Amino acid sequence: MSSTPIADLSYRHYDGKLEPPTFRWWSIAKMMMRLSIKKKGFWVWSSFSAYFYLILGAVFYFAETLSQQASGAAAMAGQAPDTNPVPLLFRNMIWKDQFLTAFNTSQLFLFIVALLIGAGSIAGDNRANALLVYLSKPCSKFDYLLGKWVGIFIPIWLVTLVPTLLFYGYCFLSYRQYGFVSQDPWLIVKLLAISPLPAAFHASAMVGISSFFNQARMAGATYAGIYFLTSFLTVAIGVMRVVMQQRRGASPLLDDLFYGSVDGMLQGLAKIILGTSGSPPFNAPSNVSMPPPPSPFYWVLFVGICLAFVALAWRRIRAVEVIG
Amino acid sequence: MPVAEIRNLTVRYGNFVALNNLSVDIPEGCVGLLGPNGAGKTTLIKTLLGFITPASGSARVLGMDIASKDRSIRQKLGLMPEQDCHIPGMTAVMFVAYAGELAGMPKEQALRRAHEVLEYCGLGEARYRNVETYSTGMRQRIKLAQALVHGPKLLLLDEPTNGLDPAGREEMLDLVRSISHGKGVNVLVSSHLLPDIERVCDHIVVVMGGQLREVGSIADLKRIEGHPVDIELREPNADFVEAVRRAGGAVLVDKAYQYRFQLPGTPDEVCRTLMKCARETGAQVRGFALAERSLEQAFLEAIR
Repeated sequence: MSSTPIADLSYRHYDGKLEPPTFRWWSIAKMMMRLSIKKKGFWVWSSFSAYFYLILGAVFYFAETLSQQASGAAAMAGQAPDTNPVPLLFRNMIWKDQFLTAFNTSQLFLFIVALLIGAGSIAGDNRANALLVYLSKPCSKFDYLLGKWVGIFIPIWLVTLVPTLLFYGYCFLSYRQYGFVSQDPWLIVKLLAISPLPAAFHASAMVGISSFFNQARMAGATYAGIYFLTSFLTVAIGVMRVVMQQRRGASPLLDDLFYGSVDGMLQGLAKIILGTSGSPPFNAPSNVSMPPPPSPFYWVLFVGICLAFVALAWRRIRAVEVIG
Repeated sequence: MPVAEIRNLTVRYGNFVALNNLSVDIPEGCVGLLGPNGAGKTTLIKTLLGFITPASGSARVLGMDIASKDRSIRQKLGLMPEQDCHIPGMTAVMFVAYAGELAGMPKEQALRRAHEVLEYCGLGEARYRNVETYSTGMRQRIKLAQALVHGPKLLLLDEPTNGLDPAGREEMLDLVRSISHGKGVNVLVSSHLLPDIERVCDHIVVVMGGQLREVGSIADLKRIEGHPVDIELREPNADFVEAVRRAGGAVLVDKAYQYRFQLPGTPDEVCRTLMKCARETGAQVRGFALAERSLEQAFLEAIR
């Protein structure tokens, strides 16, 4: 038998089609997403981020079913049925607040997803000198950075958006009679508007922080430090606010600073878009509510921080180290 | 037509001048870019790729201006950098196909071509392994594969044998020689390893201190002025040497039975004269060749 291979393994020149050097960022973004969805942790933490919608859905379902059963049982027992056809849980229900609560509870999980898919986005490339591969092809620095940003943004956005839309669809089909649509006909638009906020912030923060390191874990630890430190300060301010409110009344400064963490800012912007101060879940009675933060300032802060992180990454990314 | 035309190119890093008014035409074929460490070889490659903006001067690569067409140039170039480089978290086939996509290849063709190129570079068996598990030699090969995947017209190889053991070095040089001869790919090899350059290249460009020192074919550079010839006899023969002297020749080297003579006339005439002398004196000629310098000597003279 011959030992030579059947296939021709010699070098053959490629003369096929080459696309013009535009939209290379999309190739980079697609590859980022492919690598992200291969991670088991991405699916696990993404599923956790939707847990509150599951709880809401289950509670709403049982509340309505039990209410109907109770009415039926009362009728059979000859007792006077409740004249109000709306189950107790749905009376005075502020629907958008349920979405706000779910949005707030998902923030920690979205942060973990961001760490999983974004911490190594540029740090890994720095370690492996991958920039030379990217930039020696017809990709510009803009393509590279935009590709990385979009590659983090889209998965986190979808993780936020998909459960929100599913829950909206469930409520739309099941609870219109309880004012789900009539209470705020623009709710779907508002939900679409708040869904990209965490994705945009985390994508910007991750490309900015990741560009400073050669190790994904260092980039992740740094972002985690920023995230938890600001969250701790927000909690401390929240405690101070309650104490001061009991003694001297509300302090506007503390109200504003309450939104000074990563989570706080995102929650504050969600309140601004939804036009609510929020309320406890499941329509529980409470007299504690935090008004939305001052709108223009927090929008400027949000956009400014995102741009600052991207600008940091822009400065750090270069094909050659030039020592001046 | 030269693959790169460089005119008065000056590149500065702050106050340090890395390339100083460099003008050179890089011919087609396989060209060695020689120079000691810090001569400006890598800077020249990075300038041709558009990574560095020159302080003055101009350059055209494959007929395109580096100042305005850097992305089009990079689409037709392949770079094998000196440093170890890969994209983390990918298998070899995924990495090379991705490099093809980045260069503009349609996805299906990039994948097909990645398999072909990996086979050609000797990584066919290991193509589904994560690149991070590769040995140094395999990483050199995959750098070559990602540079070749989109069928570049010009391949820039920066120290391609860095970190390779003797066997790996031989295989890499064989690959480079094979690509650069008869496959339609022009290759510019940057190295300070003269035997590597001599083995794969036809032309060399010598730079030092950011300036051009020498350019030409290796054969021309090794040639010694006046066409001296080396003769090896079976045994030392004083009569033969005397006969050559009588014929107007000068003895440049006389080492036992090896001689180097310089005679007037064309190489053919010199050959005839020497054979006549050997016949007359009964000297048995065992070797005869036009004398040439080693590439190392030529290089040292160029940078002196």
